[in-house]
Amino acid sequence: MRFDWVNILATVIFISIVVTLILAVASYFAYKVREARRPKTAAELRQEGETKVFFSEYKPQ
Amino acid sequence: MSTGKRPLRPATQLLISIAIIALAVIATIYLFRYPQKFGPFFIGALVVTLATFLLLLLLRHFVLIWFSYLHQRELAQDEHPEIYPFVSIIVPAYNEEEVIRSSLSSLLELRYPYYEIIAVDDGSTDATYERMKEFEGNHYGVKVSVFRKENSGKADTLNYGVRRSTAPIVVCMDSDSRLTPEALRYAVRHFGDKTVGAVAGNVKVANRHNIWTKLQALEYIEGLNMVRKAQAFWRSVNVIPGPMGIFRRTALLGTGGYDSDTFAEDFDMTVKILADGWKIHYEPKAVAFTEAPEVLLDLIKQRYRWSRGILQALRKQKHLLTRSSGNVTTPLSLWYMVFEGLVWPAMNIFASLFFVWIALIYGMTKLLVMWWLLLTILDLLIAIHAILMEKEDIGLAIYSVFYRMFYVLIIDVTKLFATLEELVGLDMSWGKLARKGRI
Repeated sequence: MRFDWVNILATVIFISIVVTLILAVASYFAYKVREARRPKTAAELRQEGETKVFFSEYKPQ
Repeated sequence: MSTGKRPLRPATQLLISIAIIALAVIATIYLFRYPQKFGPFFIGALVVTLATFLLLLLLRHFVLIWFSYLHQRELAQDEHPEIYPFVSIIVPAYNEEEVIRSSLSSLLELRYPYYEIIAVDDGSTDATYERMKEFEGNHYGVKVSVFRKENSGKADTLNYGVRRSTAPIVVCMDSDSRLTPEALRYAVRHFGDKTVGAVAGNVKVANRHNIWTKLQALEYIEGLNMVRKAQAFWRSVNVIPGPMGIFRRTALLGTGGYDSDTFAEDFDMTVKILADGWKIHYEPKAVAFTEAPEVLLDLIKQRYRWSRGILQALRKQKHLLTRSSGNVTTPLSLWYMVFEGLVWPAMNIFASLFFVWIALIYGMTKLLVMWWLLLTILDLLIAIHAILMEKEDIGLAIYSVFYRMFYVLIIDVTKLFATLEELVGLDMSWGKLARKGRI
């Protein structure tokens, strides 16, 4: 059986480019979701004019 | 970033991001699915763009190799100064308990006769300050001062440290970085030239144990440091990296210090120093090891911040794109940044899609393979050249096979979306990368 290496390589390149692009867009979307769910730091809360009013962080001695 | 207006809710921001992604995907599909709707002009424009892309790629690589070689040759003739100036090293830290010990320990091992360390805790909520305090005091002539202040961001923390320093040369670094013992000695020699306002250090990836960090290690050597080398030949390095920037105190203070209104305070500071007419050098032997993101989402987060930060700084200093302070290389250096940040990612994604489309529609598989082979061989040769120049691990060269087709494409997609979001004006936060303590 004779392989057509150009076609095989082209298929590999084609699939890798398409998969990479899909992965890149999906990862970017996942990053945005993660950032939206991340708890804000004190500085970010201050910047947005919000403050923690209910409790201060408890640190065991 | 403080914009003066109330930021959008995270859910709204997310929705806008989804809308941007959806629009980009739909526009791309439409463009390639129905090219006839755009007429022969569109096809002609595609071909011209692609030819320009390949030509620019070759030209860029040739120019970088040539000037980085000239810089390397020039450095071989430089000598060390007879007297070393006093140096203050500023270490800003926010929630860096995993890495701060390693960072401060590396500073105490520097082979430099006369320096002090100023560590500033930016209101950390972990044990960073306690770890810093372990180092406070005098260590065989090296004074370590530790300060703590309310959380206000990296730029403000660096300014806080600079205000407490007295040395004529100031080193600003990241707390997740580790300097090599000879780093300062090599970097300081360039300040013999009174026109040099700052020196960029050579940043390398410390944690090379998975494919993401190895690809970043290659990127730092090939994509970042070689560019700095080429720019240093013209004394116009356009980014003094956060992990190691060495500044002449007068140059640093002359800019008014770091600004908090961008997310790339290192690039912003670099532009301000260039705008003041100072020259900026690069020292390949001033090595700082840094901890690179180990997972894809952290890498995307870092690059998103870099991209938007660079755009914010460019927008602030856009007048410099057309006007120089007697130094023609400054606008050139900034235009290069615009090209790398805005034009290049879009062209790279576009070229990849175009070749896939050609292969699909016209069955021109040979063209696709030729294009891929050309780029891969080019990347491999550049990688080998850059690795040999830096005397790095030659094994990294093999990762150049994945570099353009895989890694660069992911980074470019992130850059493209970051650019679109910056243009739309979406709010963003600094965030914080999780450290693994591997430096």
